[in-house]
Amino acid sequence: MADLNAHAGERQNRAAAMRLNLFAYALVIPVTLLIIGLVGYPFFFAIWVSFTDQVIGNVGKFIGFTNFAYLAGTSTFWAAIQNTVVIVVVTDILKLGIGLGLALLVHQHFPARGIFRSILLLPWAMPAFVAFLTWRVMYQPIGGRINLILTQTGLYPHVVDWLGQRHTAMGSVIVASVWRGFPFWFIPILVQLYSVPEEFYDAARADGANPWQRFRGVTLPGIKQVIIVPTLLSSIWTANAFEHVWLLTQGGPSDATMVFPVLAYFGMQTQRIGEAAAVSVYMLPALGILVIFATALMMRDDEQ
Amino acid sequence: MTDKTTSGAGWSRRRVLTTAASGVALAAASGFPMPAVAQARKLTYWGGLIFSEDANNLLVEAINAWGAANGVETEVVMINQNETTQKVSAAVASNTMPDALDVGLDLMLLLARQNQFILLDDVYNKVGDAHGGWYDGPARATDTTSEVGGRVGVPFGVNGNLLLRRRDLLEPAGFTEAPKTWAELAEQAAAVNAPPVYGLGLALSNVGDANVQVNVMQSYGGRIADDEGKKILLDSAETREWLTWLKGAWDKGLFPPGVTTWDGAGDNQAYLSGQAAFIANTGSVGIAARNDDPELFEGSAFSPLPAGPKGTISPITPQSRVITTGSQMQDEAKALVEHLSNPEFMNAYFNVAIYGPVLKNQEQLQAFDGSNSILVGLLGLAQNGTAPAYPDVYNAAYADFSSNFTVPKLAQRVVVDGWDFDRAIAEAVEQGQAIYNKY
Repeated sequence: MADLNAHAGERQNRAAAMRLNLFAYALVIPVTLLIIGLVGYPFFFAIWVSFTDQVIGNVGKFIGFTNFAYLAGTSTFWAAIQNTVVIVVVTDILKLGIGLGLALLVHQHFPARGIFRSILLLPWAMPAFVAFLTWRVMYQPIGGRINLILTQTGLYPHVVDWLGQRHTAMGSVIVASVWRGFPFWFIPILVQLYSVPEEFYDAARADGANPWQRFRGVTLPGIKQVIIVPTLLSSIWTANAFEHVWLLTQGGPSDATMVFPVLAYFGMQTQRIGEAAAVSVYMLPALGILVIFATALMMRDDEQ
Repeated sequence: MTDKTTSGAGWSRRRVLTTAASGVALAAASGFPMPAVAQARKLTYWGGLIFSEDANNLLVEAINAWGAANGVETEVVMINQNETTQKVSAAVASNTMPDALDVGLDLMLLLARQNQFILLDDVYNKVGDAHGGWYDGPARATDTTSEVGGRVGVPFGVNGNLLLRRRDLLEPAGFTEAPKTWAELAEQAAAVNAPPVYGLGLALSNVGDANVQVNVMQSYGGRIADDEGKKILLDSAETREWLTWLKGAWDKGLFPPGVTTWDGAGDNQAYLSGQAAFIANTGSVGIAARNDDPELFEGSAFSPLPAGPKGTISPITPQSRVITTGSQMQDEAKALVEHLSNPEFMNAYFNVAIYGPVLKNQEQLQAFDGSNSILVGLLGLAQNGTAPAYPDVYNAAYADFSSNFTVPKLAQRVVVDGWDFDRAIAEAVEQGQAIYNKY
């Protein structure tokens, strides 16, 4: 009798557990559907469109890799690959260097540190549109601040067309992008610096470690995690960013700053949606790898 | 505890699920367009937003006043013309096109081929008959009969590039007349070129303004492609002649620094800030100068684009009103389009907009009485301007070629990268041929 009661109770418990599980799944279904609808559908639709000859007003038909082959046959496409890689790598290295350097500086105790910290956040707080238009004005050959400073101080007596020359355009875009983006690195690194126990530094000092050795042995391992994830995220954002190049150079001069998002926009301007989608899809493999790495790292962080 | 809360306090599991499912259904439903018949009958008009706020307001007021007088509920949405393509693209995909809208030539031709617009021959003929007939240029440019069996657009204005010059600088230098040829233009520009004032404020960047170089090249006899739209013809002596003119002006320092990356407002800003003696512009700069810098406006003059050795190429860009196939109010929309051609409205509109006339009787409107130099220039454009793309053939390949800024990029290769003509032309031919091969 006791066994029967025990079995019945067990069955009831299992049934209750199953109901609870079903209930939990049911609660997740709406969100899952929304995610599929809002994220999955546009994503896979864009991939599908890239294999069609869709133009505005016509859904088009499947044309295989024609759009991809056409793009690969243009010099602008190859310029976009090269420029996108250069902008992502150089910009992120500079943002990391400046963000890390400033975080280490602000981590020190000095008067008005709070004000200094706030000022460093301003570029990030400024709308990108305003920021890059401001840089555009500053780069102007006639009346631009940078040229005025250079000529009036005698540092360089000639007016430089920063955005209009091949050898200065890319550098100018990178400088503006770094200025706008370094706080994204500065903030998490600074926060993480506060979490490195002071005792570690004391112990390192006691062992005779010099500042560089303390940085390599204590600081760097302590902030490593917040460097890797922002690196990946920033790389994805920079590769996808449109406004910095568009507002400064429109990809010129002579494709010197042409990047994938601007190339895709030109595709839209020609009303050939399939072709524009193909430009974006070309970026997917590289960005997909970065996304997988970033997601894995963030999940590992969560588990830790 | 959780169980008790969800099952016993008014929020049963069933209710939670029902609510969630309703929410999803609602969210999903909101993402799809409702059939037009299920919505209130309202005539929606997408007007093309232009630089003149007065003109934009005038169009909105005219449409709403017509609606009120005729018992038709109207809604006017002004669309930035730089975003028309994107908005129309989304509207076509989601079946939410307005009843009627203003479109440029590219979009009109593209969507006409997709049967997105109804035929408007009846309205076109009626309006033309009532107002002395259509000017030949806009009439031919907007004729879609060979493609879709009739006209889908009723033109309401033309624009195009005029040459705007600093009379106050040029006359003291001895140049009282507008330059007749591109060579003369360079000569006059050189005479007043004194940085920070530069002679030639012509964009050479990846923007629509820079396509004026296509017109210069064509006026030297250069061609983009053959009449069949198959073979790129850029590799010619005439193209080299144009490049020689361009390179000569560049080497003399007549172009302001920055022209190779100017945005769409680059020439406007250069002229308004006194950095350029000449620009090619639709007239928006003139309006801005008239409003904000009357002294500059007084010292400026408009004239047609100069000629090359093979004549003047000064293409018109007509704007048209179209009615969409999916409209449930096509008769009302036709009546509205016809109404909007009335002389009172058009006279007021021309006075504040930057369009030239399309109907012959409009020449007699007060707007074109000669008191406004911008409108005089636009009237001349309507009367004497060349067809879009002429002497090339305006087709989808040409539009694609222009949107890729292939000719401005050819110019950039020469002046920015220092490539020789042969190399730069070879690249442009390759890129252009790849574009034309798609069609």
